[in-house]
Amino acid sequence: MKDIDKLSEGLVRGLARMNSRRGVLATIGGLVTGGAMFPALPVARASGGPSGSGYDGVAPQSTGNPMDPGDPSSCDYWRYCGIDGFLCSCCGGTANSCPPGTEMSPITWIGTCTNPADGVNYIISYNDCCGKPACGRCMCNRNEGERPMTRPQLNNDINWCLGTSTAAYTCSTAVIIGVALKEEGQG
Amino acid sequence: MKALGVLVIFAATAAAAQEAPGVESAQRAKMNWMLSCQGCHQPDATGSAGGAPSMAGEVARFLNVAGGREYLTRVPGVANAGLSNDQLAELLNWTLATFDKDHLPADFIPFTADEVAAGRTHPLVSEAAVLRETLRGNFVDDGRVGGAN
Repeated sequence: MKDIDKLSEGLVRGLARMNSRRGVLATIGGLVTGGAMFPALPVARASGGPSGSGYDGVAPQSTGNPMDPGDPSSCDYWRYCGIDGFLCSCCGGTANSCPPGTEMSPITWIGTCTNPADGVNYIISYNDCCGKPACGRCMCNRNEGERPMTRPQLNNDINWCLGTSTAAYTCSTAVIIGVALKEEGQG
Repeated sequence: MKALGVLVIFAATAAAAQEAPGVESAQRAKMNWMLSCQGCHQPDATGSAGGAPSMAGEVARFLNVAGGREYLTRVPGVANAGLSNDQLAELLNWTLATFDKDHLPADFIPFTADEVAAGRTHPLVSEAAVLRETLRGNFVDDGRVGGAN
């Protein structure tokens, strides 16, 4: 015990001899200011990075498939050309699947989007996920090809949580269900 | 005789290319089904409770009752579909053959663009459901007699 006392006393006295009190304060101040300039936690890095969605806390994503390019957490992702809602990719699900605890609506609105990888128009089904409160993350409102309320089957401002056990809207998916033929007059 | 032979071969080829009466391209008809119908009627045409009615195993029965054929051209989903008359007629013929082949009459005459166009000029609105039930009441062939008639 005595030895520990002696050792720490020696270290502290040595430190005091080598440093002025002002110098210590200046060093601590420098560390505090400098440290604040670099986000230290991985969570903060995720939001500060070049996220496609631009939504805080959502890191960029990839399908991993070169024929399905883009970031599924970004409104610019090709399949979202007709979407209106919160991306399930940002809400614990994916562009194809619902977050846990929600139910995919069998009633959907369906359109086509052009895949930039092959230039082909794919038929996309925007199945809503239902059963939890609205996710509130990554709101996208592109609505390309949408028609007014007089054509309800192609209108996106109505709640498509139909045929599910609850009408509570959570988020939207964009599932590829087919390939469209290239033809004049097809919307 | 040779000309007749060529004609027969041509007719056979044309018949083989047509997968259903009045359907020029089944692929196009299916695409139009996906884009204009299946969102509400479901991929297998079974519909949903309280929503779009089921057509599977039933839709062609409308052809067997008076007024049923015209109803099919005036029902809102058909009359208001964003399709040309040609493609709408094709889609209607494809739908009948795909989802209710068993009830398709043997002497079925496919819908034409003109017939569809005539129906679309006076589409059904809220009375569609009432008319549907009235027509269904006239279905006689599998014990479904009843309804509003």
